[in-house]
This record gives sequence, C-alpha cells and structure tokens, in this order.
Amino acid sequence: MSTRGTLGGVFASAAVLIIGWQIGAAALGHPATTTSTGPTGATAGSGSNGAPTSGSSGSGSGSPASSTLKDGTFTGASVQTPYGEVQVSIVVASGRISDVATPTLQAYDGRSERINSQAVPLLKREVLQAQSAKVSMISGATFTSRGYLTSLQSALDKAA
Amino acid sequence: MSSMASAITAPALTSAAAPAAGRALRHRRRLRRADLLTVVAWASAALAVAMYLTHGVALAGIGDLLTAGGIVAGLVGSDLVLVMLVLAARVPLIDRTIGHDRAMAVHRQLGKPAFYLLLAHGVLLTLGYAWADRANIVAETASLIGAQDMPIAYLSLGLFVAVIVTSLVAVRRKLRYEVWHLIHLLSYAAVLTALPHQFSQGTVFAADTPQRVYWIALYVLALGAIVTFRFVEPAVQSMRHRIVVDRVERIAPDAISIHLRGRDLDRLGAQGGQFFTWRFWTGRTWWHAHPLSLSSVPTSRTARITVRELGDGTRALQASLRHGTPVTFEGPYGIFTDAARGRERVAVFAAGIGVTPARALLERLDAGRGMVSVIVRASDPRSLFLWDEILRLCQDRGWNAWVSIGRRGSGSSSWLSAADAHRGVSMRSAFPHLDDSEVYICGPDSWADAVEHEAHHRGVASAHIHRERFEL
Repeated sequence: MSTRGTLGGVFASAAVLIIGWQIGAAALGHPATTTSTGPTGATAGSGSNGAPTSGSSGSGSGSPASSTLKDGTFTGASVQTPYGEVQVSIVVASGRISDVATPTLQAYDGRSERINSQAVPLLKREVLQAQSAKVSMISGATFTSRGYLTSLQSALDKAA
Repeated sequence: MSSMASAITAPALTSAAAPAAGRALRHRRRLRRADLLTVVAWASAALAVAMYLTHGVALAGIGDLLTAGGIVAGLVGSDLVLVMLVLAARVPLIDRTIGHDRAMAVHRQLGKPAFYLLLAHGVLLTLGYAWADRANIVAETASLIGAQDMPIAYLSLGLFVAVIVTSLVAVRRKLRYEVWHLIHLLSYAAVLTALPHQFSQGTVFAADTPQRVYWIALYVLALGAIVTFRFVEPAVQSMRHRIVVDRVERIAPDAISIHLRGRDLDRLGAQGGQFFTWRFWTGRTWWHAHPLSLSSVPTSRTARITVRELGDGTRALQASLRHGTPVTFEGPYGIFTDAARGRERVAVFAAGIGVTPARALLERLDAGRGMVSVIVRASDPRSLFLWDEILRLCQDRGWNAWVSIGRRGSGSSSWLSAADAHRGVSMRSAFPHLDDSEVYICGPDSWADAVEHEAHHRGVASAHIHRERFEL
C-alpha cells in the first residue's frame, strides 16, 4: 500500500467516524421526536396514533399525578436511547392511570430485546402502583428505564 | 469521476500504439486506482462503525465500555473478513490494479487482525454483559450460547480458529497444500454460520435501519464476487475455449512444457507474463489446481505453459497427461505485464522456473533497440530453462541478455552467481540505467528479495518494480 493510499484511508475513516459520533451524540441529546397525541375520550386504545400536535411537552416534570388527570389516552414523546427508541402511552380512566403501553419499543440487538421484555412489565407494574413516573429504575435496564419514564412523564404532562 | 470510470472500462491499449506519455499516464492512473481502492477498504470499516455510533453509544461504566468495544471489534472484524473475501475473489478490477499476488499478500496480512478482532468481539461482549448482569463469566457464556443463533456463531468462531491457525506460516509449512486448502475452504462456512446471529442478536442487521441495508449490500457484494469470479466465470470460459493437452515436451531433466490446444485462445485476453490456475482432468491430477504462467503468448489455437517438477502434484503431470486430456482454468491473472509498465526502459531479472513469465513478457514487450536488459540466473546449466528462446528474442530486437550460472554469491551481489560477483559484475555494471527502468523480477522468493532490495538501493521506486510470486 502506498503512503498516499493509507493516509487517504485513515483520514476518510476519521471523518466518517467523527460524523457518526456527532450524529449519535445529537440523537441522545434530546428526544428523537415530539409527537404527541391529545386526549381522545375515555375509550382505551382509540387513536394512540392520532394527529401530532406541534411543540414539545413543556415543563411539569415531577408534577403530582393523582386525581388531577384528565381521562383519555395520552402518548408521550418518543425517546432515543443507545439501544433503541422508547415511547409510552397511558390510558387514564376516572382520573387514574388504568393502563400503560409502549407503542414504540425498539431494540437494536437481541440482548436489548431480552432486557426490554423483562424490564418493561416491571416498569408498568410499578407505574400502575405508584400512579406516577416517580418509580425506581430497573437495574440492568437503566437506559430503557430512563427512556420509559421520560416518555411516561411527557404523557402525564399532557394528561394534567 | 468520469476519467476514473473510463480508466477502468477502457480496453487495454495495444502496446504498439501507446506512446511513452500514454504509458506513464496509464501507470499513474493505475496507482491512483490502487490508492482509491485502499481508501474504499478503510472507509467500508469506518462506515460500519459510524453507523453503529449514530444510535448514540452508552458509555456509562466499565460494562458499557466493554460492550461497545466488543461491538466495534465485531463490526470491524466482519468488515475485514469481507474485504479478505473480495481480495481472494479474483475481481478483474483488483487484479488489473494491484495484481493477484499483491491482492493475496494483503489478504494474508489482514488474516490475523481480522481473527483477533473476532476473538475480541466474543470476549469483550461476554465480559461486558457479565459486568452488567453481575454474573460470572461461565454463567454469562452459558446464557449467551442459549440465545437464538448463538450456537452456530460459536461454531463460526471455531472454524475461523481452524482457518487462521492452519494459515500461520509455521503451521502451513507442515501441511500438504491440499489439506491446507480444504481447511481454508471452511472460511466460507465460517462466514455463513456467523450470519444468523448478526441478524437476530447483533446491532448489524437491526430491522429498519440503514445498517441493515449497508451490511446486506456488503455481503451480497463479497459473496457475489466469489461466486461470479471464482466459479461462474471460470466455468463459462473453460467451456467456451475447450482447452485440451496437445503434447508434453521434456525441456530439462526436471521441467516440462505442456502444449495446449483450444478455441479462440487469443480471445482469452492473456498478456505475456500472466498466469492461469489450471486443472488437468485425469484420475490422478484433477484435484490439484496448478497456478502456472504462460511461457508463450497464446495464438488463436495454441498456448504453452512450462512447469518445473517440484512436488508430487507437478511430478504426476508428465506421467498422467495425454493428448486430449481436458483442461479447465481460472485466469488470466497478474500484472507482470507490459500494460503495467510506466517507463520506457525495462530490466528483467529471472531465475529458475521464473523464466516462464519473463519469456512470455519479452515476446510482446514493445521497446526499442537497447531499451531492454535481461538477466537469467540458474544454479546449474541443467536448470537454465528456455534460455535459447529468450536469447533469440533479445537478439532479434537488439536487447541485452545475460546469464549468470552457478552458486549464489553473498552481499549486495548475492542475486548473481558467486563467480560473476567475484569478477566484478554488479547491478550498476549490468543495468546502468536501472533507476530509470521498469523492473520485472521473477524467481524463488529469497533470490527475488535480494534483487528487489538491491534495486531499491539503486533508487527504483516500488511502483516500478513488478514481482511475480511463485511460492505461496
């Protein structure tokens, strides 16, 4: 290999890697999308893919989540984690969270898929018990937990 | 870009029509193409890693670091294996650009790094997962083997171990070529058994990602090149040209010329100095493929190869080949040719059976009187093959030709016989214009190394030195 070819290869590779890293850092920096769904009435499950409204979910993290919730189905922001996207939707009935679902639960690899399939039911149970996003992370599934609870909080904010 | 494409697709100019400027230009283009291929190979690995990075990578602790390292090692390792496949696929573009032997040299260089990366992939991921799960390594390995498609992924790693270990120089010397080759074919199985876990476990083929498209394209390209250029193309060419043995001629106590007959052999596109991999279909010889240079440029009906009987395989040829024995082939390969030349002056160094490509190269070399100097070396007069033909070619065209017979000398003239070195012959005295010559070297490795070293010392750049390697 000539020096010119090798140097060209090294610099081209470095450039490609830096671009990849930058894109990745940007993707993790904030939620991938801010798609949200307004209340759609009391019927569970109807229209969780409703028309997106613009704007992010705004403030309100940590807001109390008990009886002040509006009834309906609310879909939180889609959150990018290193292992895939997570998006949580909640069904509120009589002011209480009656169901939690994950319309988007991506896993880039087989292991993440297995971890998600263990962690998500646990998270759901805790959320239904606590009736808020203030639940503990599942150990061994930190990123999925963080993404899940972030998306959940944005759904709760919409229901508030 | 358009000049690039035309350089690749344009038919080789006939040397008679190529003026000096055209020759130098073609030479520069070829070198530029080689650099471009190098950049593409590097970038293919970088792109694989960059696509993984675009997800964002968790680097929160030691477990994450180990896992990310394991994934990157797997990505780069897989990419290197695919680059190795392409290098071994006899892709015409690569052969015309860097030559088959150079491609195989790079293939061999990549073997160990690829293997270490694949091992690191397995080890780092196991450690990283064990760290995250707070499990011990045995338990983590057990759980990994239990996952979908993982048993054959471990098998794949085992096959890679077998392939690489048998290709280590020390081990390979002890193995018969056929045994080594059979084990080496397991690399196809290794690549294929590694695939499923990349789909189901890996980040590589995660659904709905550009990565998936990229990797499928890489695999199709590499495996497609192998199927096309190692299987389909040779089969089609062999059927089209219907080559058979015409007669076997003994030219020395341990060397034979095999005269071949076939259809439209001038349309094989073979240039003087190139070689084919031949297979002779008799009961004793069919399983052995022989990489042999043409010793004269084919006519429309005939071709000739010259063989030194060095091993069992080549010794069996003389006894087995008959008039009419069918022959199949892969080729032509190599850039030990006039087309690869960048300068007007030519210096040819040939030793032993290395004279065969040199003889065919000289036959079609387009050079004026006094522009070519040839030196042929042999350890004794009986292993001086085809010398009379080379001498006649050189005399007819006004070129210089010498022989150097006898035991090799030492020091900077070790490429000559001791007697010639003693009477003061040197590279400077025999080739006064060497630093302005295109240098062609063909012979046993240790001798060719000595010539190349001395040529470098005399100021010839690597880009103007062409070697045809016989010994694998």
